[in-house]
Order: sequence, then C-alpha cells, then structure tokens
Amino acid sequence: MLMHALHDEGVELIFGYPGGAALHIYDAIFRQDKIDHILVRHEQGATHAADGYARSTGKPGVVLVTSGPGATNAITGIATAFMDSIPMVILSGQVASHLIGTDAFQETDMIGISRPIVKHSFSIEDASQIPQIVKEAFYIATSGRPGPVVIDIPKDTTAPDTLHEYSYPDSVDIRSYNPPVEPEQEQIQRAVDAIFEAKQPVIYAGGGAINSNASSELYELNEILNIPVTNTLMGLGVYPATDSRFMGMLGMHGTYQANMAMHNADLIIAIGARFDDRITNTPKLFAPNAKIIHFDVDHSSVSKIIEANIAVFGQVKNSLRAIIDTINNSNDDYDLSQIDSWKEQIKEWTEQHGLNHDLYLSETDESQILPQQVVQHVYQITEGNAYVTSDVGQHQMFAAQYYHFDEPRKWINSGGLGTMGFGLPAAMGVKFAFPKDEVVCITGEGSIQMCIQELSTCLQYNLPIKIININNEALGMVKQWQDMNYGGRHSESTYQSSLPDFIKLAESFGHVGIKIEKNSDLKSGLEKAFSLKDKLVFVDVYVDPGEHVYPMLVAPNGSLKDMWLGKGNKV
Amino acid sequence: MQRKVSIILENKPGSLVRVVGLFHQRGYNIESLHVDPVINVTDYKYVEEMLNIHLKENEVSHLSITTTVSDDLLRQILRQINKLIDVLVAVEDKN
Repeated sequence: MLMHALHDEGVELIFGYPGGAALHIYDAIFRQDKIDHILVRHEQGATHAADGYARSTGKPGVVLVTSGPGATNAITGIATAFMDSIPMVILSGQVASHLIGTDAFQETDMIGISRPIVKHSFSIEDASQIPQIVKEAFYIATSGRPGPVVIDIPKDTTAPDTLHEYSYPDSVDIRSYNPPVEPEQEQIQRAVDAIFEAKQPVIYAGGGAINSNASSELYELNEILNIPVTNTLMGLGVYPATDSRFMGMLGMHGTYQANMAMHNADLIIAIGARFDDRITNTPKLFAPNAKIIHFDVDHSSVSKIIEANIAVFGQVKNSLRAIIDTINNSNDDYDLSQIDSWKEQIKEWTEQHGLNHDLYLSETDESQILPQQVVQHVYQITEGNAYVTSDVGQHQMFAAQYYHFDEPRKWINSGGLGTMGFGLPAAMGVKFAFPKDEVVCITGEGSIQMCIQELSTCLQYNLPIKIININNEALGMVKQWQDMNYGGRHSESTYQSSLPDFIKLAESFGHVGIKIEKNSDLKSGLEKAFSLKDKLVFVDVYVDPGEHVYPMLVAPNGSLKDMWLGKGNKV
Repeated sequence: MQRKVSIILENKPGSLVRVVGLFHQRGYNIESLHVDPVINVTDYKYVEEMLNIHLKENEVSHLSITTTVSDDLLRQILRQINKLIDVLVAVEDKN
C-alpha cells in the first residue's frame, strides 16, 4: 500500500536504512521494482542525501528509517531541511500501535521529537489512511514554503496479512492550509512605483527564489531594470554570478560592495529572503535609509526582523512575473540613467575592496596553498558547471565566495542550520539525480569526518564524486573566531596530530586518494582527480592553517558597513 | 499588554500541542489557556466565510490563549500560528 502510494506520487528514489519496525515496508520494497532504495550507512546520511536530491532537482527527497535510533538519527537532517525550506518526506517506522506508550524496544516519540523541525507530521492509525496521508504529506512538503514532513508508521499498519482497497487521490484539499500563490495587484503596483522612484536600489535574492524556480523571471526583470544584485548564501546561482550586475554574496562573509550597497541603499528588493541574522548584522543598524519591498510566500517571514514597507505575498515566480507585466504595460518607461551614479559608486567599492578572483595566478612554492586558490582551481577545471556541495565552516565560505554559480540548484549547502557532515551525503543525492554531471564536495577535515561512513555507500552505488578536502588541520571557523574574539586561545579546535591518513582511508573504502601539499602540485593534482571520471577521488589538500575568511562583519553591534577586510584591517 | 488570541483548529490529536509548542519554541509565554470543541458552529460564521467552508459540530476546537506581548510580536505570533497546518484561523480577540 505504502509503496503503491509512493509510486503513484512519482517517487523514484528512497534513501533509507532498515530496522525492526520498518521490516514490513522493506519487504514490500524487495517485492517491487519501480522505486529504487539506496542503503546508506547512517540515517543522517539518508536525510542529507535526500536533501541534496531535493535541492538539485526541486523534487521532494524521500527518507525511510526505522523507529527509535533510526528516527532520532534522522533528526539532524530533518532540521537541516527545515531551516532551508527543502521539500522532504520522512517515513519513520514505529512500534506496533498496541505497544505505543509502553517504552517498547526501539520506541521513541518521533512525532514529538520532530515537531519543532517539521512543516507538519502525520501518524498512521489505520492502513486505509495511507494513500490520503501520503498525498497530503507530499502536497504540504512541496507547496507554499516547502519543508520536511514526517509520516510515523506503526508496524501493524504495514502488516502484509490484511488487505485493503487501494485508490490514490488525484488531488488534495486541506481546508486549513492555503498558501498564497498569486500576488495582489495593488501591492505589485506599489512595488513598481517604488522601483521607479529609487535612485539607489538593490535586489537581494535568497533561497526562496530558488525554491520558487524564479531565476528566469529574476533575470528577465533585471534586463529591464539593470539593478545591482546580491544573493544570500542560500540564493547563490539564482542570478548568474558572472553577470556584470552581480555584486557577489552579502552578509557575514559577503563582499565589500554587496554589503556597502545594502547598507546605503534607498530601496531593497528582497526576493525569497528572510533577513537572517547573518545578513542584517545588528537589525536596528540595518540599511538605515532603505525602503523594503519583500516578496515571499510565507507571511511569517515578512516584517519578522526588518519591517517591510511593501509586502508582496505569493509564489515569488508569479510575483516577479506580475512585476514584469506591470512594468511592460506601464505608460512610463523606466529611466535607466536614474541609477547611474549609484552603479558608479558600487563599481568604486568593488575596485577598492572587492575579492581577488585571480589569486590562483600568483601562487609559488614559497608560500603555502591558500584555500581560496583551491576553490578557484576547481572552478577553472570544472568550467563553473559542477554541482558543488559543501559542509560548514571556512571552506564553505571560500566556496561561496570563489565558485561562481551561474545557475540555480548547483550550490548545495546547509545555510540555515549549518550542519557539518552535510556535504558528502548531499553530494550522493545530487549524483543519483544527475549521474552524468560533475559533482564536487568541497569540505574540510573536520566536517568530512562527521559523515565519512558514506564513502562506503559511494562504493556500493559507484558514485564518482570528487571530494576536495581543504585541510587546515583545525576547525577553521572556530579557530578564526578564537583568533579574533578570544585572544587566540584555540580551545578544542585542533586535533593534536590525530588526523587520519585520508588517502589510506579513501583507499580502504575502495576509492582513490590524492594528497596535495605544495602549490606547484595543486593544479596538476586537481586535474588528475577530475580526469578519473569513473572514480570517487578524495583530494586531501593541505592549506595555510592561519588563513581567515574575509570580509567579515564586525559583531556584535556592527552594521553591514562595518567589516574586517583582513587581519587587523577594519573599515 | 495582555492580549487574547482566539484560535480555531482541527479537533484531532496533536493539534493543540503544535500551538502550545510554538509558543515555547518562539519564546512566547502562555498566561492562560482554554480549549473546547466547538458545538455551536453558528458562533463561528466568520471562519466559514473566511475559508469558504462549512463547519460541523465537534469538528473543530476553539482555543483561547492569553499572553503579554507588543503589537509587533502579536502580529508575528498570529502569523506563526496561522501557518500551522491544523489551524484554520487565529485572530486577536479584542472583546
């Protein structure tokens, strides 16, 4: 029944791990051939893999775990998906209905534990409910602001010894759930008027614009407006990074020009972005002269941190389409020259303190490898076309700053929750979805060890991912904060020479390992890794352990214009 | 300022705890709480009109919560509660 419903829902792939309470379901998986099941090595890996699949395809990821520890191991991955609004359906086995509440073997209250980190959850009480609940779960997970949905399935409701009539609903209507789709024209008109008046506008687009598949509308709109654009960490790729109007990422480690433009803007056009604390720095000092237009599908995201002057609720794809139509049908032409001096100012900022995207050209063996150079080489070798997943920390920021994403859904990272261990399993999910495309996991020696067991899954399913381990022999971001805010006291951020030999480790899992320690080996080592098309290659690159990520916002009590641009260099 | 929030939600297991849990997750304090299944649906015509639905006896519950918050926070709380899937309507009760 469950497998039928999943198939009818269009599910092709499930990431999971079996166990007692899920055995009836696993037997049903064995006895069908329409849906593939991927056996991971830890339930956290299953959730991140489903998440990577969902982020790269836009389709919901599906996870199957057993009760108790299976369910609790999935929690980190569910929270990761929740924070980044990723559509996911998690099927968790549960002890039989008559045992619930008795502290039975492998019993845990999954609905209770997961409640704060899911969009919604369901408990199956009777097998006959399965088709309807599956339908509703997928609808909720994928509509409005997407998110994870848990279905808790007591073992008796999947027992093969009872027969039920099965029919899968064609559509679903939940009377208490009506996410906005089309914007109100009145708000659209107000937004257009504000855009026409603005002299210093900025487009600030985030993950919501990706979720809504709004990137072509965004580009089309900006072909008319020519406004400087910045993306959040979650939004990278929704606007082409190589476009001349793109200023780079904003926020905590955003570019100088993007942060300065936001701070000095007279109009901020927020598109599927939520004014997260990594973006605003101190909210009361945020963009003091800016009017805010906020496009979002979620009412509760608007005016939560920063008051919006104009709120446009609806799928942002539709809202942007409405803006374009309104401008095209307007009697007034948008005067491109009204923002000329603003663009001149941004150009000046970029020239003053913009990122150096040619660092890799100046490397010699006199100096250690810089992590930024590693990312730049990967960008060059993959010609900017790879799917890049990352973990969390310095390497994540370097990847976000120096890999230029021209397309949405190619940059896969845990932005909201900041989950170390995300990168490798997420890359597996992407590779399953796009087996012919290059999938790179840019990680660090701290993060990669958190889900390293999935190397085994990669062998089982032959997933030739390229893992670029930016190895600074420390928990780099922690160490950076300790350098900057804790007098250089590196409390528990180094490993005292206890790191594994990653090359032997990769080899023991049946993969290829390449170690790079010198600048002169960097380009050739990476080229060799990418030339091994059919192999998972683990590239262990030793980089300068003292390197920090800059720019970095001054916190606490700083605004977006207050940044560290280098060690001891504050503006 | 003390506010009263009036919430109509599906009368099914787990609905109430989602609302109560949300107050805790978001750092709001509940000062009093009262919940009853809705018997007399004619008192809730506004819900029927707002959502274009027809309510039946005992199908939904009325939950009343008092909390002390500012205007801005109240708006945010109402938006968060309205976002819960099992909640039909959450409004401030000014009576």
